[in-house]
Amino acid sequence: MSADNKKGLAKAQEIYNNRGKYARSLKEQGKKVFGYFCCYPPIELLTALDIIPVRILGDMDQPVTLADNYLPPVMCIFCRSAFDLGMKGKYDYFDGFVGAHACDGAERTSFIWTNYIKTPCNFHLDIPHTAHDAAVDFFREQLEYFQKELEKFAGRDITPDELRNATMAHNRQRALVREIYSLRKPDPPLISGTEMLTVLIATMGMSVHEGNLLLEEVIQEIKQRENVHEKKSRLMIWGSLIDNAAFTELIESSGLNIVIEDTAIGTRPFWHDIRDTENPLQGIAEHYLKEVLCPRTFRDSGKNYEHDSELRFGYLKDFAKHWKVNGVFANIIRNCDIHGYEVPVIKDYLNGLGIPVLVIEQDYSTASLESLRTRFQAFAETISS
Amino acid sequence: MEKDNSVKTMKSAKTLKTAREAGYFGKKMLTDAIKAQEEGHPIGWSMVSWWQGDFIAKAMGMHLVYPENYGAFCAAVRQAEPYLEIADSEGFPNNLCGYARNCLGFAKSLRDNNYVIPEGAPGGGLARPVLLLASGTACDARYKWFQSLGRYLNDVPVWNLEMPQSGVKEYYLKDNKEKNLRFVVKELRNFVSFMENLLKRKLDHDKLKVMLDQALKTLNIAWQVDLLRRAVPSPMVSQDFWSVMIPHFYLPDDPEAYSFYERVYAEVKERVDNGIGAIPNEKYRMMFSELPPWHSIGFFDELSKRYGIAMVMESWNYHAPTPMPEEELDGVTDPLEIIARLTYHKWMEHNEVAREFDTSPGFFNAAYLKWAKEYRADGFFAHPLMSCRPATYTLMHTRNSLEEKLKVPGVVVPGDIIDLRVFNADEGFSKVEAFVETMDHYRDLRKQAGMAW
Ligand code: SF4
Ligand code: SF4
Repeated sequence: MSADNKKGLAKAQEIYNNRGKYARSLKEQGKKVFGYFCCYPPIELLTALDIIPVRILGDMDQPVTLADNYLPPVMCIFCRSAFDLGMKGKYDYFDGFVGAHACDGAERTSFIWTNYIKTPCNFHLDIPHTAHDAAVDFFREQLEYFQKELEKFAGRDITPDELRNATMAHNRQRALVREIYSLRKPDPPLISGTEMLTVLIATMGMSVHEGNLLLEEVIQEIKQRENVHEKKSRLMIWGSLIDNAAFTELIESSGLNIVIEDTAIGTRPFWHDIRDTENPLQGIAEHYLKEVLCPRTFRDSGKNYEHDSELRFGYLKDFAKHWKVNGVFANIIRNCDIHGYEVPVIKDYLNGLGIPVLVIEQDYSTASLESLRTRFQAFAETISS
Repeated sequence: MEKDNSVKTMKSAKTLKTAREAGYFGKKMLTDAIKAQEEGHPIGWSMVSWWQGDFIAKAMGMHLVYPENYGAFCAAVRQAEPYLEIADSEGFPNNLCGYARNCLGFAKSLRDNNYVIPEGAPGGGLARPVLLLASGTACDARYKWFQSLGRYLNDVPVWNLEMPQSGVKEYYLKDNKEKNLRFVVKELRNFVSFMENLLKRKLDHDKLKVMLDQALKTLNIAWQVDLLRRAVPSPMVSQDFWSVMIPHFYLPDDPEAYSFYERVYAEVKERVDNGIGAIPNEKYRMMFSELPPWHSIGFFDELSKRYGIAMVMESWNYHAPTPMPEEELDGVTDPLEIIARLTYHKWMEHNEVAREFDTSPGFFNAAYLKWAKEYRADGFFAHPLMSCRPATYTLMHTRNSLEEKLKVPGVVVPGDIIDLRVFNADEGFSKVEAFVETMDHYRDLRKQAGMAW
């Protein structure tokens, strides 16, 4: 049965399982498909030209083999895995590639990608490190270049209205995702972390309009179905992204319900809407630098350590309160510096709120997942008592 | 990993007299800072920012020390380990940058000792800062590390300098360079306001101008030394460079650094004029990338002895850039803009080569394609590091490009800047021994292809 005949969660699952096949079917329908790294490239611009943005992911099921000759093992293995898939032709359907200086690893992988994996169009988006006004202006200018390159590729210009409409459609997607998050507030949550992950990954491989339809179906389905989940300790995930449902399944079968994820395939791309500004690119630039809260963006220091932590992580307090979180799993993909340096800081901050934290550095491999089970089980026991 | 204290360091004899004198500058940086603190001057811990933040901070009376350099220093004197262990026990992942872990461990011991430098700290330790001057250029560690120091330096603010890192194609988009520079200048102005607020004093523009003029002169003469190194046989090798680079990299505004380079220049020039090579039996010329095993520089002396290998060029990131073209500074009087142009030039200057060879990024990578021709390189020595990702990310790619585009083969010998146990000299020797034949073979290939060397 193809994804076309399915609806809601079943459809999300189908697309999640067959991302490549689904993307290729879009191409057969004459669509253009672009790959992009992480949650920083403004995909609104792609949507405005009817280009389908496909988020580049790795594969925890597959050992990295071809990447070794290009990206050294000290690099974050998520980036290496994504590049490995690229070298193996798994992303050979891309008409374009959007690299980004999201973090250092993503930046170098993006550069190296364009040397070895060719697409008709590519653009490297330089993302500043701060959210200062000058940085927002700089980023807006970079987006103007990005827009022009896309227009060259598409052979037509984006009108301000098209960009506005695309932004509205993505804002609608953000609102729908937040609505699903609100369905995770009850105890037990109405949708599991694993279901959420498959839905989010599915939407990150389809047009925003199709994605919104899917999200609407999912919401309706969840609201209508009997709650299939059991009560367990409520877990927030913070840190490096998780892009494989085997991982969330392992966690949720170890006595925990994942209720919210502050990660790049979680709340980060969806938590705030893009403001409608006179120059639409201004609102877009502000959003990505100021409101996508990955610790890759430097926020100006607070007056002391406590204040600084509050400025940088205060939003987690709200998450914890509203989603009634019992504990936090700090997920660190080995060699992810962005999150690695934060480990003691995030622990200090959350422990200060009375929230226990489980830190695990992992190797981004489903083969080594099972060995983590006892740690999740022990954590579940600790936080339930 | 098991601790192995039997691992030996290998010191280099260095071939230049001036290189043997250069250690003075490293010590001077540390002792000057401690003296400055005693005299009541504010101290800044600074990341290397390729001169972007240094002169401004110094012109405002701040004394800078460089924790990255301190990490190298602690490693070289084999005293990094206790600090690394402290960082581990504090919960920092042990795969973070070794220099960062060294610094985090040191900062904790500083805090635990009421901010009085603990007795026996290597090199006299790092004086307590009032500012952490971070930079996102090259590597995320260089601002994430400083942010995480907040645990130990409670109320010390972090400032993060901005420097665009355009892709090669994007660099050439119309007006992009000027837009990038405008952004950097705006951010430098923000930095100045921040500093004026922090230190409650104004930036002395005249002083800054003087420092900058001096720095440009020092960088220029350091570059001229690089030009001399194109000679065959090579008058100076990497073992020399890694010592003499300290003054131009960290203290180019210091007139003493300039006079030092005058002497380096004279010494190298004399060798060139008399056809004297740094090593007596130069047979192969290699380039090295990127950060060396500081604890085992003598390894390269041994490569010279055994195989006649001269390391003729190395470590892009430590080199002074080529002087900026005159038109670049035409009519530019604002020192902040000159600084912005200098750092940007350092990072972007090899985009031209990158474009010519259709490779990216320009930084860390393309310089080696240019140097391979200019320095008549027979091989490329890639040194992947456990501790420094940015110096490692592009190594395989550079190796591939050199081999594919210029028929210059590469050998990969892993090691580390701080952890001695990762570097196995014997394995390194065996690899290089086998590699010598490869270099011979590629020499023939280059000849067949009509290449100049
Ligand atoms: S660290 Fe942040 S920027 Fe880098 S890949 Fe992860 S979420 Fe994206
Ligand atoms: S990882 Fe390398 S460049 Fe980054 S701070 Fe450490 S030594 Fe410096």
